[in-house]
Amino acid sequence: MESPKTEEEKLQMFFDGELAPEEEASVRRSLEGSPEAAAQLREWEQLRAAMKSVATDWAGEIDSDALFARIENEISAPAVPIERLKLEQPALRVVPGGRERRVWGGVATGFAAAAAILLAVMAWPEPHLDPAPIVRGSQVLEADFGSNTGTIFEVEGGAGQSLAVIWIDDEEVGLP
Amino acid sequence: MSLIRHFLVIAVMLGAAVASPASAQGSSLARSDRASTISSVPAEVIVVLAKEEPGKIDPQLAKMTALRRPPFNSFRSMKVLSRPKLKLTLGKDALVSLPNGRRMKLTLLRVMPDGRYKVKAAINRPNKSDYLPLLQVIASAGDPFFVAGQTYQGGTLIVGVIVDPKKTAQ
Repeated sequence: MESPKTEEEKLQMFFDGELAPEEEASVRRSLEGSPEAAAQLREWEQLRAAMKSVATDWAGEIDSDALFARIENEISAPAVPIERLKLEQPALRVVPGGRERRVWGGVATGFAAAAAILLAVMAWPEPHLDPAPIVRGSQVLEADFGSNTGTIFEVEGGAGQSLAVIWIDDEEVGLP
Repeated sequence: MSLIRHFLVIAVMLGAAVASPASAQGSSLARSDRASTISSVPAEVIVVLAKEEPGKIDPQLAKMTALRRPPFNSFRSMKVLSRPKLKLTLGKDALVSLPNGRRMKLTLLRVMPDGRYKVKAAINRPNKSDYLPLLQVIASAGDPFFVAGQTYQGGTLIVGVIVDPKKTAQ
């Protein structure tokens, strides 16, 4: 039996466009009365935009130091002023620390995975990354038989490779 | 969580983008660099007298399985007459005397980026062009090419040339 979705799960599914139309409309209505939820959505949107920007840049030449510095700057940049800030702040506010930790835990996990992949690629021994197959055998590029008649063909070597054979008929010559 | 999935997918994409082109390019460049630094390479010429008369197959040819396949398998006896070793240097001729008085001239023309060797060969009497004026072959290390058909002492000469025989000799 499927457990009912928490508000946070609904918000995330709304952010990902995974909600059914009815639920999406419901969340959209609830957002109008929940500045905190709206603010959360904006933060996620900022993060997504930052990561998309980074991913696009990586198609070109990669400078890992500059890239990570840029990502950190994007993330730590102050959020765009949101409606919540305009509201009167309560003296005490319950901070949803668990949710924030999970979100930032995701960011950290993503970067850790990227760093691990980068390190693995850089540390991997070269022969294992060699995509080009080793070409075996021998082949004739050009042959001039002169006044003789000849044939070029191939025989199979011990490893299955093709070995070139040039067969030229001639009359026996005497020792000089 | 959806957001975590986003980051993980991006991380994998970034890793893959770095891994494939950069590593492949680096590897092929390294191989190309190695090829460009090679100026000489060892070689071996195996001169075999093959006859249709029943007889022995020289034990030295045991690993040269190509000589047991058509059309070479029509010969029922094979004897290694000589097996000179030489060094092929880029652009310089190396000469090997054959038992019938002809000489085989071998020249290393180029080491290909993939590590194979481009070799020029000619077999003629001194100052003549009576048999094989020109042959150009590309061969990988340890893989021979053969020039056969010269008649000698009632048999046929098979001349095998192996460049870089210290590698994967067949």
